Amino acid sequence: MAAYLVRRVVGMVVLLFLLSVTVFVLFNLLPGDPARLTCGKACTPQIIEANRHRLGLDQPVLTQYTNFVKGIFFGRTFSEDSPEPIICHAPCLGYSYNRHQQVLAAIADAAPVTFWLAVGAFLIWIVVGISMGILAALNRGSWVDRTIMGISLIGYSMPSFFIGLLLIFFVIIRFNWLPFPSYVSPFDNPIQFLQTMILPWIVLAVLNAAFYMRLTRNQVLEVFGDDYIRTARAKGLPERVVVVKHALRAGLTPIVTAAGLDLAYLLGGAIISENIFNLPGLGSLAVGSVLNSDLPLITGITLVTATIIIFANLVVDLLYAVIDPRVRVG
Amino acid sequence: MVAVPSSEVAGFQGEAQAQTSGRSLRQIVWARLSRDRLAMVCMVVLVLYYLIAIVGPVVAGVFGISPYTLHSELISDLGGKPFGALGGISWAHPLGVEWGTGRDISAQLMFGLRISLVIATSATLMTVALGTVIGIVAGYSGGWTDNLIGRLMDLVLAFPFLLIVLALSGVLTDRLTSLGIPEGNVSHIVYLILVMSVFGWPYLARIVRGQVLSLREREFVEAAVAMGANKRRILFTEILPNLWAPILVYATLTLPAYIGLEAVLSFLGVGVLPPDVTFGSMLASSVSYFQVVPTYLFIPGTVLVILVVSFNLLGDALRDALDPKAVH
Amino acid sequence: MVRSKAWLLRGFAVGVAFALTLAACGGGNAVSSQASGGASGAPKTGGTIYLLSLNQQWDQVDPQRIYTGEDLAFFGGTIQRSLTSYKYSADAKEGTSVTADLATDTGKPNATATEWSFTLRDGVTWQDGSPVTCEDVKYGVSRTFATDVINQGPTYQVAYLDIPSAKDGSSAYKGPYKKTGQDLYDKAVTCNGNTITFKLSKPVPDFNYTVTLGFSPVRKSDDTGESYGQPGHLVVSDGPYMVQSYSIGNGGKMVLVRNPKWNKASDPIRANYPDTWEVDFGIDPKVMDQRLIASAGKDNFAIQYGNIQPENLATIFTDPEHTTAQFTGRAVSGFDPYARYYWVNVNKVPDVNVRRAMWVALDRQAIRLNIGGAFAGNMADGVIKPNIGQDYASTGLLDGSLDWEAGTKVPDNGDPDLAKTLIAKSGKPAPTLTFNFANTPTNAKTAAIVKSSLEKAGFTIKVAPLEAGQYYSIVFDPKKSGEFGTAGWGADWPNASTVIPPLFTQKGGWDLSQLDDATLNQAVDAAQTDTDRADQSKKWQDLNKQVVENMWVLPTFFGLSQTLAGKKVGPIYRWPAYGSWPYGQMYTMP
Repeated sequence: MAAYLVRRVVGMVVLLFLLSVTVFVLFNLLPGDPARLTCGKACTPQIIEANRHRLGLDQPVLTQYTNFVKGIFFGRTFSEDSPEPIICHAPCLGYSYNRHQQVLAAIADAAPVTFWLAVGAFLIWIVVGISMGILAALNRGSWVDRTIMGISLIGYSMPSFFIGLLLIFFVIIRFNWLPFPSYVSPFDNPIQFLQTMILPWIVLAVLNAAFYMRLTRNQVLEVFGDDYIRTARAKGLPERVVVVKHALRAGLTPIVTAAGLDLAYLLGGAIISENIFNLPGLGSLAVGSVLNSDLPLITGITLVTATIIIFANLVVDLLYAVIDPRVRVG
Repeated sequence: MVAVPSSEVAGFQGEAQAQTSGRSLRQIVWARLSRDRLAMVCMVVLVLYYLIAIVGPVVAGVFGISPYTLHSELISDLGGKPFGALGGISWAHPLGVEWGTGRDISAQLMFGLRISLVIATSATLMTVALGTVIGIVAGYSGGWTDNLIGRLMDLVLAFPFLLIVLALSGVLTDRLTSLGIPEGNVSHIVYLILVMSVFGWPYLARIVRGQVLSLREREFVEAAVAMGANKRRILFTEILPNLWAPILVYATLTLPAYIGLEAVLSFLGVGVLPPDVTFGSMLASSVSYFQVVPTYLFIPGTVLVILVVSFNLLGDALRDALDPKAVH
Repeated sequence: MVRSKAWLLRGFAVGVAFALTLAACGGGNAVSSQASGGASGAPKTGGTIYLLSLNQQWDQVDPQRIYTGEDLAFFGGTIQRSLTSYKYSADAKEGTSVTADLATDTGKPNATATEWSFTLRDGVTWQDGSPVTCEDVKYGVSRTFATDVINQGPTYQVAYLDIPSAKDGSSAYKGPYKKTGQDLYDKAVTCNGNTITFKLSKPVPDFNYTVTLGFSPVRKSDDTGESYGQPGHLVVSDGPYMVQSYSIGNGGKMVLVRNPKWNKASDPIRANYPDTWEVDFGIDPKVMDQRLIASAGKDNFAIQYGNIQPENLATIFTDPEHTTAQFTGRAVSGFDPYARYYWVNVNKVPDVNVRRAMWVALDRQAIRLNIGGAFAGNMADGVIKPNIGQDYASTGLLDGSLDWEAGTKVPDNGDPDLAKTLIAKSGKPAPTLTFNFANTPTNAKTAAIVKSSLEKAGFTIKVAPLEAGQYYSIVFDPKKSGEFGTAGWGADWPNASTVIPPLFTQKGGWDLSQLDDATLNQAVDAAQTDTDRADQSKKWQDLNKQVVENMWVLPTFFGLSQTLAGKKVGPIYRWPAYGSWPYGQMYTMP
């Protein structure tokens, strides 16, 4: 187990390294010239070059990359000519001249929004998905089953941005059931927080909820067919006990494990929800940084989200390894 | 992002049925499918969609309807709103006209549908090709090849797909152009197809790899190995034919996912060039106006959802028809 | 001056009209402000005014780096004073005339206008009570020379002060941080007691306007460089308010409270009615409109940073001159600071007949309709906008009175036949042209119109959308840009010296057409240094006419924009100086 763990962690580090290199190189291909963007109207070539130097863009990509990596471990200083230079402590992901803010600070500002968005959506899709899935499985073939499967089908057939626009149109504009979204921290104003988040949660949860309904239903039905359930039934255990204690436990383990991964992907993929509902999360930050050629910010966000995904992958694989020793061999 | 969850297709043993029955799998599947009325309806709907996409623009041309013609006379100079209710719905423009330009919405939908279908269909074919080949290679060779491919998949899956696609669309389409792909919409469409397949293959590859792993242990493959058949022969004559059922199901479920994805991308501004439009870009412009003209939201949205639902229903039906373990 | 950040947020946030609203430096007179008294209620001292902003943060807060009209107006009216400022008035002329602010008068030039002196008022203090000194002004002005730290702001300091150039063409003075060439600066800018004197390298007859931009004092001990003004390093005020807090992002706020040390006697301009200003960031434009239309609760005291979305215009206005009854005294429609045009790379399209044909073929009527019709602006006949005042004169372009138009008035929806004739004159087949634009849904529709109308004349048009935020960083590079594309420009003060030189000379900094013509450069120089204002106006008018004769850019529209306020805030008019709210005069009503 220890050897496996070491191997996977090393693999993860290598993966992150490859990813950071790829991201760095890819984003350096962007056509916009960040130096030109930092320089206002009366831009002379000299000012552009001065700014290019300040941004470190006059150095080869390799040097830029090593500086970036050094910053992560040892910190960096930006705008050294300022009377008060910007000191960016390790782990330093860079400084966004665009926002006048350190990249890590920008990410830290945005992360809670995406976190709450993801957690809320996660709860919704797990609860709705699993309970509806079980309901469908227990009523297999009945109208309940068919209705639930129908809802599920529609759910994963609707592009999420379209669901979002529909919700805005009906819930907010036409019927005024909710005010326009305006994000606040749940600790400052829980009511406004809920009012703001409920629609984005739904938008983000629909797709996965739809899948989990089907997944759960199929898992549960499959387990019902297994021998030990038949044994349990044969032993004369009450149906409720069979369903809850045996079938569900066996059937849901893989679902919950899969959910961990989906949650991680969701952290990186909340772009659309945030965009439609004007939430100041990582997705909005990322899109803004792309549009602005804000290279440090793009790189930082990409790495942070990728790290989360890779880490979640690792955790899930380790869980599997614990549950199923065969995995280690394969 | 573009995944059809593997749970939808994994653990799928389509070939088992074929071996126990006298009829060919195709016949069985077709017999089952044709009994499924809903699936048949979907198929008709989809055939219609494809027909409209193929001949619609030609017919429109005959009738002189074009998505590019401006109708300044149909919109108000005070803000650009079309005259009349619901975006100026009329006999001449049954779905209304666009805010600010007066272009015909029905014609835009027809032309846009064609682009969406071209992109989604080609991207699906390409994803399937990539995923199948890589999955077979990984599953059959095992060892370090398998390991390498596994890590490559991790890398691809960990990539912030949407961000990369958004950020690099300009650069990469330019690069495609410099590689000799005609500039303009062709290179934009090729770009979309490429990114969808490049980021989409790992999901299928995983499924295929799993299938191959289990097939490798089966008697008929072992028999072929024992008889000294070469690797390529085993891969393509013994294993591949047994994979087509899960692949087909995966494809039918991927296609609608790609239609949705194309809509998302063009909603976010990565799509075809003006004057062409697709579902996503129509919905993106609807945002500014749907409070006043809700049909801008509902018409393209409904057309899109019907398309995707039909594909998904058909995909489901197909899987049920192929899968002996189908639970109903 | 064009900034893209605000624009792209606008362009991207959903619920956005994607209007062409480049934040920029204002200047000029509003044509049709709805100045009629506003809603009922007398000005009240006290209360809070809310400024609703769709941006995530201020582009800049540092007095030397602010260069957006609305921002200059806001900070100038509240916390940052400059040597001279504009008068508060809805009147086109009055509202664009300068008046003494920090200085006791509007400056004393020497006979050749190469040396200007300003004497500071007594009793002006920083928020901690210590006096604002001549050295503070001198230090503030010097910061702009640190071009790699104090960037994006106005650079007239560098352009006008009598400081020699280094070999590479940049100023030999590198700003107060590096201190290279400090002696040169100390010679050009001198303090004598309370009097600051600027020595200029050439005559600048309207230097008293120049000093409204970035000539604000900064105390050396407060200056943190790059971070000055940002959260953690709040800007220090010398105006009637001071910054209490500033946070960025959606939900971010800037709160200004009264500056207790501010001395009313030292400030003849600002009225400071409200107790507090609150700037709320990250508000979706659609939401903003809804809130202001409803005007409930604290939104009664809110004003809009940005524009009314096109879908709501017909609810609020009956035409660009009049509001509907319900919104009387709440909404403003007037010239924004910009003249819109399409730049044409003159090296890639060298033939004047081809450029003329491009303008002639362009369906400007359909394009205008797409961006809001009559609400979007008037047809432009040049790059000098009428709201600039005396420097504007009709070029005759729209009347068909230019020689090459041969007496025919080119219709607003284009004349493909005339265009074909012009192309024939060039002796070559109509070329293939690439059109650049910032990628927003509205611009994509505009691009479609450009393509179809020019192709009617025989051109082949390729469309090349660019990321909104990167647009200007790409199109300035001729290697990456196409033959023509969208742009907009606003004057920095009511003198075309802030329009023609930047747009048509290489050193001007906004020469998207890549023009570099010796004769033209000379003519521009001559106009710029002309100390006879009337004669100078004549020269600018002639140059403007040359622009359209040669079609160095294709003029499109003189932009209008519309803004909305809550029910209990006033006065409601567009301040011609910056095309903005008259912040220093604003009040709440009971």
